[in-house]
Amino acid sequence: MMTFAGRFGALVPLLRGTTQFIKCAVLSGAKELLPATAPGGIRLAHTDIKIPDFTDYRRPEVTDPNKSSQDSSDARRAFSYLFTGATTVVGVYAAKTVVSQFVSSMSASADVLALSKIEIKLNEIPEGKNMTFKWRGKPLFVRHRTEKEIAAEEAVNLAELRDPQHDKDRVLNPSWVIVLGVCTHLGCVPIANAGDFGGYYCPCHGSHYDASGRIRKGPAPLNLEVPYYEFPDDDTVVVG
Amino acid sequence: MAASVCRVGSTMGRVLAQTRSPLLLSLRRGQASVSYAQSLLGAPETRLSTLDNGLRVASEETGHATCTVGLWISAGSRYESEKTNGTGFFLEHMAFKGTKKHPQSALEQRVDSLGAHLSAYTSREHTAYYMKTLAKDLPQAVELLSEVVQNCSLSEAEIEQQRGLVLRELEEVESNLQEVCLDLLHATAFQGTALGHSVLGPSNTARNISRQDLVEYIDSHYKAPRMVLAAAGGVSHQELLALARSHFSGVSFEYEGDAVPVLPPCRFTGSEIRMRDDALPLAHVAIAVEGPGAASPDTVPLMVANAIIGSYDLTCGGGKNMSSRLARLAVEENLCHSFQAFHSSYSDTGLLGIYFVTDRNHIDDMMHWSQNAWMNLCTTVTESDVARGKNALKATMVGQLDGTTPICDDIGRHVLNYGRRIPLAEWDARIDAVTPKMVRDVCSKYIYDKCPAVAAVGPVEQLPDYNRMRSAMYWLRF
Repeated sequence: MMTFAGRFGALVPLLRGTTQFIKCAVLSGAKELLPATAPGGIRLAHTDIKIPDFTDYRRPEVTDPNKSSQDSSDARRAFSYLFTGATTVVGVYAAKTVVSQFVSSMSASADVLALSKIEIKLNEIPEGKNMTFKWRGKPLFVRHRTEKEIAAEEAVNLAELRDPQHDKDRVLNPSWVIVLGVCTHLGCVPIANAGDFGGYYCPCHGSHYDASGRIRKGPAPLNLEVPYYEFPDDDTVVVG
Repeated sequence: MAASVCRVGSTMGRVLAQTRSPLLLSLRRGQASVSYAQSLLGAPETRLSTLDNGLRVASEETGHATCTVGLWISAGSRYESEKTNGTGFFLEHMAFKGTKKHPQSALEQRVDSLGAHLSAYTSREHTAYYMKTLAKDLPQAVELLSEVVQNCSLSEAEIEQQRGLVLRELEEVESNLQEVCLDLLHATAFQGTALGHSVLGPSNTARNISRQDLVEYIDSHYKAPRMVLAAAGGVSHQELLALARSHFSGVSFEYEGDAVPVLPPCRFTGSEIRMRDDALPLAHVAIAVEGPGAASPDTVPLMVANAIIGSYDLTCGGGKNMSSRLARLAVEENLCHSFQAFHSSYSDTGLLGIYFVTDRNHIDDMMHWSQNAWMNLCTTVTESDVARGKNALKATMVGQLDGTTPICDDIGRHVLNYGRRIPLAEWDARIDAVTPKMVRDVCSKYIYDKCPAVAAVGPVEQLPDYNRMRSAMYWLRF
């Protein structure tokens, strides 16, 4: 049964193959017989169009033309959507990775990062000696303190200090003082083992620092800066 | 007032008052002598009997002075194989070219002298031979029909002559682009199966068919259990039955080798075919999804859904005030020359779609809005839309049965499809039972997120890519 929603008589019923009326004059004699073997390139009617056979490309559930495709349609659709969804997730992750790789290429490069840390071997520094290293463009003082110096620094009264800081707040291991060798007054490099307090003396304007790097006398306002450092083992310190 | 209707009407009216909605009873009196509900129930009953060999006889006595009587057969292009495709169509050409008792001129003369019209049509699942004549000439009509169907002469000379005619007809049908487009739609939607065959058949068949092919076709398909002798008009069922017994008892009901042809299901493939020709002025496009078979209960909600989308062509006077939203858009945006929503149903499957004709620059928009209309049906169709669709559908159904021939055709096809004639009252009840939720559910079942089949003929460059059309079969907002 063929139905269509239309106004009355508006449109010819669809898909009626043909109607033939005996009352119409039969066209006799006026026939045009086409050649028995028409050349291959000429298509005579749309009914000669053959839909190609796509069996090789079909999914197994729909290769049989005598089985309805409705039964398998849900499963096929679910598979397609699942595959698409999974591919999208993977694709998004890959895109994110690529983008973040490009963006992170603008961050500091390895050689710059390498410069940001310095690894110092401590067994090369004898007691009482102060060694200077270049670190991040600035001088770094590593001082191996003697017992006497440690005891002296720990006994200092905080009320005397311009910038009060106890010694244990400035060192991880009391034998080693690691400070930036930049005078907090105007940036000159203090001289080690000089000055009135057994620490450092800045020759530019006469600031005296003690063996813990704290300012004692002179124009500098703050103690020498203590950078971040850690001891991966007893003989090495990594600063930065 | 309702009480007076009940008194005036028969028992039917009383039943009506109890079971039907009060709306039907509140029709204004004085404007029609019989109310719609009464006329539905008062329609003459279609009587159905079966002969011993399985041939069914059905008729409706409408009281007209004329009648239409015909034979409807379950045979068509779906029963043909790839090699034999087009045989039924050729046979139809041969049908009126003479029988064993009446050569062609004698047959023509007899029909003419009755003042009758003898016609036939072939479709994918049905073939029909019918005659329109005066009611008193029923016996002669049945006799002629029985001869045409059972004793067709199929002379060799005539076959040769008809070859040229069939080829000419194939050539002519190329200019009927609606036919071409819908044939291509079937060919691609049911590719590789029997429903993909066009009724006309390829030109090779017309060139190479032999008398033996035609005889084989008749022998394998013209069997009594697959035939219905239907009549409508001023015919009495008893008379028709007697005539059938005398003329059609000889129709065979056995198959060679007991091989009863069983129609296998036909696989639907979501696909597309484009026949691009920029020299044509207008593009004809059809998009369809697989629909239910004829006997499925889903057909009624789908018919209502199609009535909601409706149809339109340039001669419609409604303009911007048409009730179908798609039609309003078509007018306002100048989207198309015509469109119609269609549902072609076969015994176990069908095509539910929209066909439109438009110029080359509006194909994209028209396709978008057509699919939008589908999505609307699946998701947001309202009570008023459904009420309007139901009314339009009822009006169409009733209006189509205007004459003995449409009624006879209805009878023939119904008996072949459903095994009985479905009366208008039953259609009415089924249509009334449709609710918006039912429309949404049924449409979603067949349309939402399904792969469509698309066929396009003409200057179709603007038709969207298949993936785009497939994506428009669902809405992300839902």
